[in-house]
Amino acid sequence: MLDQDGLHELESHCTQESPPHCRVACPFDLDLRAFLARMAENKPGEARKILERHVPLPGILARICDHPCENHCLRQSLGGSIAIHALELACLSADTAPGRTLPLPPKRFKVAVLGAGLTGLTLAWDLGRKSYPVTLLHTGTPESAVLAQYPQLAQSEGLRDFLAEDLERLGKQKVTFVQEALTPGLLDKVASEYDGVLVDADAAPDLGLEESAVDTETLVLRDNICVAGWKSHTATGHAFCSASQQAGQGRRAAQTLERLMSKVSITANRAKEQGALHTDLAGIASVPRVEAATALAGEPFYTPEEATREAGRCLQCECLICVRECVYMQKYKGYPRVFARQIFNNLSIVQGIHTANSLINGCALCGQCEELCPENFSMAELCRSTREDMVDLGIMPPSAHEFALEDMESASSEPCSLTLADSAVAQPAWLFFPGCQLTASRGDQVARLYGWLRETLNKGDKPGLALLLSCCGMPAHWAGRRRLFQEHTDRIRSVWEDLGKPRLVTACSSCLSAFRDRLPEAQALSLWELLDTLDLTTLAKAGQADTALPALFSVQDPCTARHDQAWLNAVRSLAQKCGVKLEEPRLSGTSTACCGYGGLVWCGQPELAAEMSAHRAAQLDHPGLASCIMCRDRLIASGKECWHLLDLLLPGGPGGTERGPGLSARRANRASLRKRLLAQYQGTTEEKPDALARVQIPDDLLPLLEERRILLDDVRGAVLAAESSGHCFQDQESGHWLGSWRPRKVTFWVEYEKQAEGFVVTDAWCHRMIVPGAGGQEAEEVVRTCQASMDKTREVGA
Amino acid sequence: MSLMEPSYRPDRGTWICGRCGVPLEQGKTPIFYLNSAFDVELPRCPQCGLTLVPKSLAQGKMREVEATVEDK
Ligand code: SF4
Ligand code: SF4
Ligand code: SF4
Ligand SMILES: [Zn+2]
Repeated sequence: MLDQDGLHELESHCTQESPPHCRVACPFDLDLRAFLARMAENKPGEARKILERHVPLPGILARICDHPCENHCLRQSLGGSIAIHALELACLSADTAPGRTLPLPPKRFKVAVLGAGLTGLTLAWDLGRKSYPVTLLHTGTPESAVLAQYPQLAQSEGLRDFLAEDLERLGKQKVTFVQEALTPGLLDKVASEYDGVLVDADAAPDLGLEESAVDTETLVLRDNICVAGWKSHTATGHAFCSASQQAGQGRRAAQTLERLMSKVSITANRAKEQGALHTDLAGIASVPRVEAATALAGEPFYTPEEATREAGRCLQCECLICVRECVYMQKYKGYPRVFARQIFNNLSIVQGIHTANSLINGCALCGQCEELCPENFSMAELCRSTREDMVDLGIMPPSAHEFALEDMESASSEPCSLTLADSAVAQPAWLFFPGCQLTASRGDQVARLYGWLRETLNKGDKPGLALLLSCCGMPAHWAGRRRLFQEHTDRIRSVWEDLGKPRLVTACSSCLSAFRDRLPEAQALSLWELLDTLDLTTLAKAGQADTALPALFSVQDPCTARHDQAWLNAVRSLAQKCGVKLEEPRLSGTSTACCGYGGLVWCGQPELAAEMSAHRAAQLDHPGLASCIMCRDRLIASGKECWHLLDLLLPGGPGGTERGPGLSARRANRASLRKRLLAQYQGTTEEKPDALARVQIPDDLLPLLEERRILLDDVRGAVLAAESSGHCFQDQESGHWLGSWRPRKVTFWVEYEKQAEGFVVTDAWCHRMIVPGAGGQEAEEVVRTCQASMDKTREVGA
Repeated sequence: MSLMEPSYRPDRGTWICGRCGVPLEQGKTPIFYLNSAFDVELPRCPQCGLTLVPKSLAQGKMREVEATVEDK
C-alpha cells in the first residue's frame, strides 16, 4: 500500500515541479518563468514584484549582475539565451513603484556586518527585510566599498541611480551604517556583543580571512561568525568581482546566520532534493535574440516594445513530456506528481468521497508514460497497484470493472471455453492459445489457422498442437483483483499440466505477458514468432493476397508488446513476407500508444477509451496494420482503416474496414467457434433446444443495448424469467408488457409485445440499485435482506 | 443529503400489475445500493408490491446516485 515514503519516492521521479535551469543557476532563486511571462505581457510592475520577492538589492543587481542564468537558458541553441539581465534592467527602469515590505515586529537577535561590499550589503538587505536589527560597520563612505568592486555603479548616464536608491531603502529597513576601522580586535568584540556576525572578506581585507578557513556550504568560520564575499578568479588567476557570486554568498550567509541564531540545524533541508527539470525541445523553432536599438551606460537598453518581444521568446520550460502524449492525463488535468498525491489522498480517506477513483481507473495501464519519461515514472504501475489496494480495502466501485470481469468469466467457461488435445500425438509439443478476443472477432481465421498449424507442426520434429479457448485472466490483473488473477492462471496451469506441459503459443500480447508472469515454465511465445519460422507457402496460396490491400501501412504495435522485441520483429518480418510495406509512426515499438482497450477503461469510462482510440488513430498516417485484434477493432470503431496481421496471412477475412463484433456478438462467436471445433475434431454436436430463440430483438435496438451494456442473453433471459415468474406489468394503452430480472448485481428491464411466434422486444434498460418488488424477488423479502446486511456493515464499522 | 427526488412516475402509459390485474399506484419504498438506502415513491401494485422502475429513472438519476455511492 502506498505510504508517505512511497509517495515521496514517487514524487521525486517526476520533475515537472523542478525549477527551470535558469532559475537553478540564479543564486537568488528568481522565478524567471513568472518574471518573463509578465514582461512578455508588458506588465513591468507585476514583473518587478516577482523580482523583488527574490532578488536582494534589486536595482543594484539589475545593473551589475553577471547573469549566470543566461548560460543555462535552453533558448541558447535556439536563437540565443533570453537576455535576462537586460530585461531586469528594463523592468526596473520602467516607471513602477518599488514593492513594499510588510513591517514585521523587530527580531530580538542582533546582527553585525563587517564591510559594506556587495556581500555585506546583500546580507543586510536580506536580514533587514526580516526585521533583524543590522549594524553595518564600514570604512570610508557607505558606498565606497561596493563602488570599488563595481565602478560601473557610479556611471548612471541616463539610467536611474540604483546604488543611491537601494542604499536609501536599506536605511528604511533599519540598517545602521557605522564607520569603523575593520580590525581583528573589532571582530572579537562584535562576536561577543551580537548574535550573528558576517565578515565581508573583500571589503575587510585587513582581517586577512581566507576562503579555505570557512565551511564552503554554510560559510561558517566559527561559532556565530560567517565570512563570505571573496573575489573570483579566472583560469589564469586573474581576480575579478562577480556580482552573482558575491551577492549569492551574502544570501547564503544570511540563511546560515538566521538558522544559527534561532538554533535550527544549519544544514538540514537546505537544498531540495529534486531531479532536474526535463524539457523536450523537439520541434521548437529558433528565434533570434532581440537586439536593443540603444545602449545606456554601456548596456543594451530595451524599449518596452523590445522587452516585450524578447521576453516572449522565453520557452516557459516545463516537462509534461508524458502528458503531451496521453489523453488520459490531459483529461484529468495534471501530471504524475500531482496524480500521485491525489491517489495517495484517495487511499487515506476514511470517511468522505473518494474523488480520485475515476483517476485511478481511467489509466489504460499502457506504460507509454514510463517509456517517454526521462525518469521512467510509471503511472501504469501506480494506478494498477492502487487498484489492488482499493480492492483490498473494499472501496473499488463495482461498476468500474464488473462487466469486463463477467466477460472474462464467460469466455473462460462453458459455452465458450474449450480444451482440445491433439489426437495425432500423445503429448503435444505445443498449446495454441489464441486469446478470448481473437476468438470473439476472428473465429473463422482461428479455426483455419489451427488446422493448418496442426498439420504443419505434425510434419516437423516437435509435433502436436493442442488448443485452449479461454481468457488469460488479464482483465483481473488490470482490475486489481489479485486473487482472481491468481485463481484464473492456476486454472490454466492445471490444464497445461494435464496436457503434458506443452510450449504455449499465443496470438495476444496481453495473454503473453500474463503467461510470462504467472506461467513462466510454459515459455510462452507469440504466434508471430512461431509463424515466422515456418514455411508459409501452404498457408495462403501465393498471389492470393487481397486485391484491396493498401500499398503502405502504418504499423500499430500493441502496448503490451512494447518490450517484446521478438514480437515486434516477427510482425515486421511477416508483413514483409506478405509483400506489404510498413511505415513506423512517430511513436512506435517501445513507445507505441494504446488503442484504448488497455486497463479496462472501455468498461468504466467508455468515452475516454474512445478518445484514446481516436488519438492513436490520428497518429497513423496510413491504414493501420495491427497485430492485436483489439487494436484493430478499436481503431476501426474510431473510423480508421485498420487491418489485422491475419488478414495478410489468411486472405478473405474481414479486411480493413469491417467493424468488429459488438459485446453480445463476441460471446456468441466464442460459443460458435467452440461448437465448430468440437464438431470438426471430436465429432460432437450438442444441439440443445433453445428456448431463448423465441425472443426476438429488432436490429435497431442492438446498438442501444451495447451502449447500455445489456447483452442479448440478458434481454432474452429477462423476458423468459418475467413470463415464468409473472413479475411483469402491462400497459393498457399499447398492450406492451414490461418485465424485470436480476440474475446478478444488475436488474434488467424488458418491454415487449407478445406475438403468436414468440416475443418481440421493444426496449430494455438496467440499473444496479436494488428495488424491492423488482427483479423477480418479492418486495418484503428484499427489504428484509438488504436492511439486515446494512445493519451488519454498520456493526462492523462501529 | 437527499440525492433522490421524492417521487417517480411511469414515463408513459397506464400500467396494471401482470399478476393482480389492478392499476399501479405511487407507493413509498426504500431502495438500496451498497451501504446506502433511499426512500422514494414508485409505481407499485397496491396488492402484491410489484414495483416498476421507469427507464428515465434507471438511466438518469439512478446512474448518478450509483456513481456517487460507489465513491463514498
Ligand atoms: S515525463 Fe511526466 S512524469 Fe516524467 S518528469 Fe516529465 S512530467 Fe514528470
Ligand atoms: S541576472 Fe542575476 S539576478 Fe537575474 S536571474 Fe540571472 S542570476 Fe538571477
Ligand atoms: S494511459 Fe498509458 S501513457 Fe497514459 S498514464 Fe496510463 S499508462 Fe501512462
Ligand atoms: Zn400485483
